[in-house]
Amino acid sequence: MYRYDEFDAAFVRERTAQFSDQVNRRLAGEINEDQFRPLRLMNGLYLQLHAYMLRIAVPYGTLASRQLRMLAHIARKYDRGYGHFTTRQNIQFNWPKLRDIPEILADLASVEMHAIQTSGNCIRNITTDQFAGAAADEIVDPRPVAEILRQWSSLHPEFSYLPRKFKIAMSGGPHDRAAIRFHDIGLQAKVDDRGIVGWEVWVGGGLGRTPMIAKRINEYVPNEHLLAYLESILRVYNRYGRRDNKYKARIKILVHETGIDKIRDEVAEEFRAIANGVLTLPQAEVDRIGAYFAAPEFERVNATVDVAKERIAEPAYGEWLDRNLHPHRQPGYASVTISLKPIGGAPGDATAEQMEAVADLAERYSFDELRVTHEQNLVLPHVRVSDLREVYDALVEARLATGNAGLITDMITCPGMDFCALATARSIPIAQEISRKFSAPERQKEIGDLKIKISGCINACGHHHVGHIGILGLEKKGVENYQITIGGNATEDASVGDTLGHGFAAEEVPDAIERLIDTYIARRETPDEPFIAAFKRLGEAPFKEALYGNG
Amino acid sequence: MAMASLAFAPPKHDKLRALGIMALNGMFDEMDGVAVLRQAVADLLPGDIAIVSSFGADSSVLLHMVAEVDRALPVYFLETGKHFAETLAYVETLKAHLGLSNIRWLRPDPKDIARFDPRGDLWETDPDSCCHIRKTEPLDAELTGYGGWITGRKRYQTSERGVLPHFELTSDDRIKVNPLAYFSDTDVNAYKVAHGLPEHPLFAKGYKSIGCAPCTTIVAEGEDPRAGRWRGLNKKECGIHFDFNGAIAKPVATVEKNLFRDGAFIADPFRAWSEGDDLASVRYTHIPLKLFLENRDAVLGNPHPNGLLVSPGDRIEDAAADLGRFASIAVSFPGFNDGRGYSTARLIAERYRYQGELRAVGDVLMDQVPLMRRCGITAFVVTHAATRKALESGHLTTVNLFYQPVGVTEVPVGTRPFLRRAAEAETV
Repeated sequence: MYRYDEFDAAFVRERTAQFSDQVNRRLAGEINEDQFRPLRLMNGLYLQLHAYMLRIAVPYGTLASRQLRMLAHIARKYDRGYGHFTTRQNIQFNWPKLRDIPEILADLASVEMHAIQTSGNCIRNITTDQFAGAAADEIVDPRPVAEILRQWSSLHPEFSYLPRKFKIAMSGGPHDRAAIRFHDIGLQAKVDDRGIVGWEVWVGGGLGRTPMIAKRINEYVPNEHLLAYLESILRVYNRYGRRDNKYKARIKILVHETGIDKIRDEVAEEFRAIANGVLTLPQAEVDRIGAYFAAPEFERVNATVDVAKERIAEPAYGEWLDRNLHPHRQPGYASVTISLKPIGGAPGDATAEQMEAVADLAERYSFDELRVTHEQNLVLPHVRVSDLREVYDALVEARLATGNAGLITDMITCPGMDFCALATARSIPIAQEISRKFSAPERQKEIGDLKIKISGCINACGHHHVGHIGILGLEKKGVENYQITIGGNATEDASVGDTLGHGFAAEEVPDAIERLIDTYIARRETPDEPFIAAFKRLGEAPFKEALYGNG
Repeated sequence: MAMASLAFAPPKHDKLRALGIMALNGMFDEMDGVAVLRQAVADLLPGDIAIVSSFGADSSVLLHMVAEVDRALPVYFLETGKHFAETLAYVETLKAHLGLSNIRWLRPDPKDIARFDPRGDLWETDPDSCCHIRKTEPLDAELTGYGGWITGRKRYQTSERGVLPHFELTSDDRIKVNPLAYFSDTDVNAYKVAHGLPEHPLFAKGYKSIGCAPCTTIVAEGEDPRAGRWRGLNKKECGIHFDFNGAIAKPVATVEKNLFRDGAFIADPFRAWSEGDDLASVRYTHIPLKLFLENRDAVLGNPHPNGLLVSPGDRIEDAAADLGRFASIAVSFPGFNDGRGYSTARLIAERYRYQGELRAVGDVLMDQVPLMRRCGITAFVVTHAATRKALESGHLTTVNLFYQPVGVTEVPVGTRPFLRRAAEAETV
């Protein structure tokens, strides 16, 4: 994976010194909260319900063992012994003290990490497929280009005060595991007719109050022009994106109100003016960065594992094998998903001890590498099939062996009213209740692939719009009320879920979900037809009836 | 944007001590007043700290915290002789309710009253002096015996208090503790309700900040809570808050020299456009882009040096051909978080290769100046004092390494190697 050179290290060092100075000026009262807010936000520091919250970037979701160990150290020393992995492949600490922030940032810098641009109205951490560089179905590993984009977007002087935040996601293959159609810019790897890899560019997707599926703005941009093309999009957005209303300030609104064709023309005009200039990306640089992401020295082995047999011997292990492995491009290897969704737990949380256990496993079994997924899990990308049993046993020890990847209890959940100052309802307790209700492994297996996503307010950090079943917590006359949406999908078959009727009280939600599940199971054509496919085929009616009766 | 940072005059006291106090400010959660108080009373200044309370509308909150930490802590009440009868009764109410055992009444020196306020109307003719003899003098005499004191001041109360920290070092090296610094009006009321604290009898009648009877009026809904004090007079703080920390400073910025160019502040030869100016004859004026486009011939016929003002939303493209006719272009940043000016500046400098003075006007703050410079801006109209100081001293904390090449004047030294090479190739 990428290693800082002297330039990167000095950059982060200077940035840490700069922010330490800003923190001290704030502590001394030399700048007020209004002036401090954008500065701290650009360094990942939020003021939450109870305390400051520090969000640390995990660029394109890739971590080395020593980095995860440092996160564990920070959790233990400066926080309450745990961290929370987010849907942006980042990690958040919910209880740091302002006075400790400079020290935390210095600790992070020592392992080539930072919190730059994890919040604020700037270009945020660039996210990718968690199986990048490992997946069997990938065209190209998107991380070298993601790293180049990280560098290009870091403290970009023109784009540090955009109308609103700006999120870029990349997918290296046709199967979209990075939800690129729900980002401000989505990049999908594509091969042109000469066999050269470039990017299909999508723009104007997003969730939040106004969910929108991105529009395709360019069918193919080769690497050499990618920086100039993205700079053109950003410039058009910076100049013409709305600033009169923060809820209409994302690029999705500009694209929606102006029309994709006009935006495409404006971007093209801007691109004509700057193309072939200093932003032209030489192949040599792509290769140089790419070398950092070269595949590890895989052994030529051809081991396989008989999941059915293992399941008979030990159901929990069999279940884990069945659910938590992803096909690897190298025979004899698999990518292992480590679920941070234990039954009844807070989704995405990991304790310092768990982080250290995972770091040990990555070091020993996965070429020192691990990933954070946008579904708030961790991944060991390159594990020998013959090591799976040992990995599993170690995960059991660390209480991280839940075999539920992609199942009903593997939910995306925002922090909700338990932590977040914006939330209007709780989300973690709802996830916990659903998780308990469907805790039985047989029941989860019977249901199969199902994505539930829960947000505690209309800002939709829990991606409820793209949940096969989405849950949105609102507040009505002082009481929490949960709307249920059905039919959302964050993949290449992107769609936004629909609300079928009135909302439910918190305690009614798990039963309502169960009625939807029962309807699906009763109406599916075969046990292999997933929920989302059955919903597409059947339409809303049976599910509406399940929720509200046929009155 | 506040000038509030100026309220903190350069410290004259021991630097280590000052740093220690600064560090204390990071130690407590903003709302944890009790912990701040406990630190002050038990740890920092045991037996050497007191509190002065007005027993006003909000005083019960801090006194409740005091009672939680130490009921025997000296609580001074300034009996100015001008209080509402309700306030005097309220002293007894709170004393009983909270079990405070050490309330000390301070009265003005009768000799001072006889000499300066024989008719009792000094509050009307000279409120500052009235506060002085009734509050500052009696209190000073008493407080010199303490290493520190506790106040109930809150940031929200007046704009001058916008940067109030938990702990402050005063100019005479004592420590002022403000446990409620971060409390808002809502927090105070919530605290009162949560702890069942008795209200000041006048609170319900609309008095939100209660001092001496003659100088306190009712505050209207939505008005600053302290607006009722010294209403109509240009007075915001009584002497007891005024005399520490080098007083409430006036803005240092002078109107004459507020243009920063070539490393120094100079007198600005330009002025802003104002209604009624004549486009054909103004001189050294930044003419708004929209007006220029509508009256292009008149402006181009004007023989005097003039500038162009580009505001967010303006299309600089429309004036691209005429930029060279202006001696200065001002890019407006109406708020520091409105980033449109950065794109405008880059277009002017890079695409249209404008050679004249490119200046930033509006909300120009030190943390954005380095970004503006990278986008081609060479001059800054600065009114924010801390920014002014930073520019004058050349001390802008910033990141000097750049990942991306930006600007024509910025040879991308310090950018990534491949970008540097590409830029060199282009300029050859």
